[in-house]
Amino acid sequence: MRPPAKKSRMSKTSIGSCLFFFFLTSLGAYATQEQAGLPFSFSHFTLKNGLEIVLSEDDTLPLVSVVLAYQAGSIREQPGKTGLAFLLENMMFMGSLNIGPMQHIGYVSRVGGEPNASTTEDITYFYQTVPANQLALVLWLESDRMKALEIDAAKAERAKQFLLDGISQRKAVDPYLNSLLAFDRLVYPDFAHGHSILGREEDIVGLEAEDVRAFYAAYYVPSNAALVVVGNIDITKTREAVEKYFDTIPPGKKPPLFLPPRPPEKKEVVQDFQDSLVPSPAFHLGYRVASPYSRDYYVLAILDYILFKGKSARLYRKLVKKEGFALYISGGIEKRKDVAVLKLFAMNNNDTMVELCQKSIMSEFNKLRTSDVSSEELAKAKGLFKRDFISRFATPAERAMFLAEMVFSPLGLDTLPDQLPKYMRISPYEVRMAVNRYLVPESRVILNVRLK
Amino acid sequence: MKKVQRVCIWALLILGPGLAQQERFRKSPPIPDPLPRLELPKIESMRLMNGLTLAVASRPDQPFISLELVILAGESQSPRNLPGLASFTAEMLSRGTPLISAADLEERIDAIGGDFNTTTTPDFSVFSLHFLDSFLDRALETLSLMVLQPAFGDREIVTLKRTQFYDLRQKQRDPEFVGRRQLLRVLFKEHPYQRSFYNEEVIKNLTRKDIQAFYDLYYRPNNALIVLAGNLNLAIATRRVSHYLNIWPKRDVEPAISPSLQANAAERFCFVDFPRAKEATLVIGNLISPLDETEYFPLAVLNQVLGGTPFSRLFMNLREAREYAYSAFSRLEYFRNCGVYAVTAAVIPPASSAAIREITRELDRITREKVSNFELEQAKSYLIGHFPLQIVRLDELSRRISESLALSSGDAQWSRFNDNITMVDADRIFEVAQKYLLPKPVVVIVGDKNVLLEHLRDLDRLEVYDLKGVLLYTLIKGVEG
Repeated sequence: MRPPAKKSRMSKTSIGSCLFFFFLTSLGAYATQEQAGLPFSFSHFTLKNGLEIVLSEDDTLPLVSVVLAYQAGSIREQPGKTGLAFLLENMMFMGSLNIGPMQHIGYVSRVGGEPNASTTEDITYFYQTVPANQLALVLWLESDRMKALEIDAAKAERAKQFLLDGISQRKAVDPYLNSLLAFDRLVYPDFAHGHSILGREEDIVGLEAEDVRAFYAAYYVPSNAALVVVGNIDITKTREAVEKYFDTIPPGKKPPLFLPPRPPEKKEVVQDFQDSLVPSPAFHLGYRVASPYSRDYYVLAILDYILFKGKSARLYRKLVKKEGFALYISGGIEKRKDVAVLKLFAMNNNDTMVELCQKSIMSEFNKLRTSDVSSEELAKAKGLFKRDFISRFATPAERAMFLAEMVFSPLGLDTLPDQLPKYMRISPYEVRMAVNRYLVPESRVILNVRLK
Repeated sequence: MKKVQRVCIWALLILGPGLAQQERFRKSPPIPDPLPRLELPKIESMRLMNGLTLAVASRPDQPFISLELVILAGESQSPRNLPGLASFTAEMLSRGTPLISAADLEERIDAIGGDFNTTTTPDFSVFSLHFLDSFLDRALETLSLMVLQPAFGDREIVTLKRTQFYDLRQKQRDPEFVGRRQLLRVLFKEHPYQRSFYNEEVIKNLTRKDIQAFYDLYYRPNNALIVLAGNLNLAIATRRVSHYLNIWPKRDVEPAISPSLQANAAERFCFVDFPRAKEATLVIGNLISPLDETEYFPLAVLNQVLGGTPFSRLFMNLREAREYAYSAFSRLEYFRNCGVYAVTAAVIPPASSAAIREITRELDRITREKVSNFELEQAKSYLIGHFPLQIVRLDELSRRISESLALSSGDAQWSRFNDNITMVDADRIFEVAQKYLLPKPVVVIVGDKNVLLEHLRDLDRLEVYDLKGVLLYTLIKGVEG
């Protein structure tokens, strides 16, 4: 559930109401929520068109970070139209009603700012950090492309080529990319979660400007977006500026409902993937675990740190340093909106090492299944988790991204102060129970990458 | 009812012009407020009894401390026959003491929410430790164990050799890394700096004795400095650092003798074969002066005009106007004895020859025509606006301070940065352009030779190297000569 928002809807029936509401709005501007347990405060309100706004002050340096996030990631794509979310992210820099192609980047860069964007499975983020006196410039730029992006066939063709070149480059530098994409299709429960943000090349070739227009109209609307401003700002003035640029943008239609996937069949999947370009055998291993918004997810997040994070993490130390079964391993919990998977990728010298490596991992999981982790190991994992968690507030840009993510999270912004303590309270017993519940053969997917 | 209508009309009269005005302001960018004053964290420093320089930048808002220990010996101090020794020695410091294993050191670092990294440049070696601010004592204790009592154990040496070999192999998958390495190898010729750009094979020649000798020679407090940034002050830092590092004995360190370097003057084209590369990567550059206040700022503005961002000349020409390249940027890099400018572009293979011509034309143009006022102000505005972004992260702040101290760049690039940029004019840019961009740059092309060489047939002379940088043959007008 989202937290209740302070509405700033203007009454049209009585000047008394207008004045009353102006008074409320002014009050609201100062109604910053002091968040106990957080090293910063923020205020949150909703414009009449549904756009969620979060403002937070940080006067360390004369900078301001602005994030505009849309719930428009790749899980919203339909079969045959993959790559659309990423394509549109690129086209957002190709000009809108009052801003020419590439001018967005030009305006931000000229004042020393850093413009950027990223697409995840769930959310597409546009973010920039600029000198604090240029806040209005960013609001002007973002509101223009939210209100009236210019989409035509020529721009779509250019963006498509950019995407296709990007895929080609990614494949050239990452010989395991094809196997990873195949693994995601196996381990995630449905098409929406299992296909790649990059898109399939044959789908991208077939995309047309009309597809982009439809996706933009469906998802790039205020009621599906959140604007976060963090930095050296005056809350009252910033609220006024935000309302000036965004309040009159029409709310748009309600975005299509996204339905959570049906749980996959409980059955182990083991498959081979033949590839002539990989330098050595490898494997992808995954467990379908609890939803990111469940109670068990907190335990799994700490388990992730016990297994993978830091130089003394269990699996790296065992497989790479001690036993030498793996040349390289990486892993962790990956969440795609409402679904999470504990993933591991290992590169090995030969097929025998692949086998030994997998056995060794299972034996480590068995240890975790039957005995509690020591309090020292748990404290270390929590310390590393805490470092990464509070790093997400350390700069205006990181804090703005984090707040944007929390606006869309079913947990809601109001739960933010309670989040870290929940992770810090995890006990060795809970870790053991989570391993027993989730790291089980019937939730496991293995894709062995063999040399062709 | 009438009352409601009257009120609505009144409301419209008041609000109507406002709403119409709102849509007008969408047509042009808003006028910015005045630039707020930049208040930089104060840097305080002192020298401990054993000669170790300590600098502190206080950032009370941060829950972390970022520590950088710099040893003023880099890859150029590696013996001629043992390139890679400086880097290997630095990496070995975190691999155990006689009493504490490498694994236990890693446990200690993880237990303070720490992140430890080592970097070696041609001039110095840096140990970076970023940790939760409540663990200052434990961080310094761990650092002192690593610095004062490294074991250089044989087993760890074997493990590190394997890791470094693999890491270098991985880096060689990046055409830009390969291109930059080739450019610097050519520019540094016989200079000790060239030892920084070695192949993975050289690592296997290193022995425990070599590592110990390098450590004994250079790892001294009077040849080192330590920077701490975060929620602490100089008084606290001095007490804590002294407590853990005062026993580090000082000893005279011979200053490095560095021969002078000459910029490349004659046309030189090098091709590095990168099988199956989809694009051509161009790295074009030459030497400039070492850090010098009088030239650093005009060169910084020049670089901005030329290729610092996507609105600079190179990007706008090669990508936006001609569509030859996916990207095209320039950058400056400084060492103790020289600097380097380098243009890097990712280019579509058929346009590689034309892209080289355009880049050299842009380099030539800036030596013949003074930059316009618009470009000048735009570049200066970028540099001034961007400066705080470079120190917003605590680790970036400590890195900037430690590099500045290691290269002795002084206050000019810190509290006087904005003033110094503001004073740059078109004449100064023209002067430094004439001085540094007139000599012919070295041109490195990285790509698949089966695809690219046919597009480079018009070059008079092209040296062809393999991925490791071994010269295979030379082409004269596309024919093996």
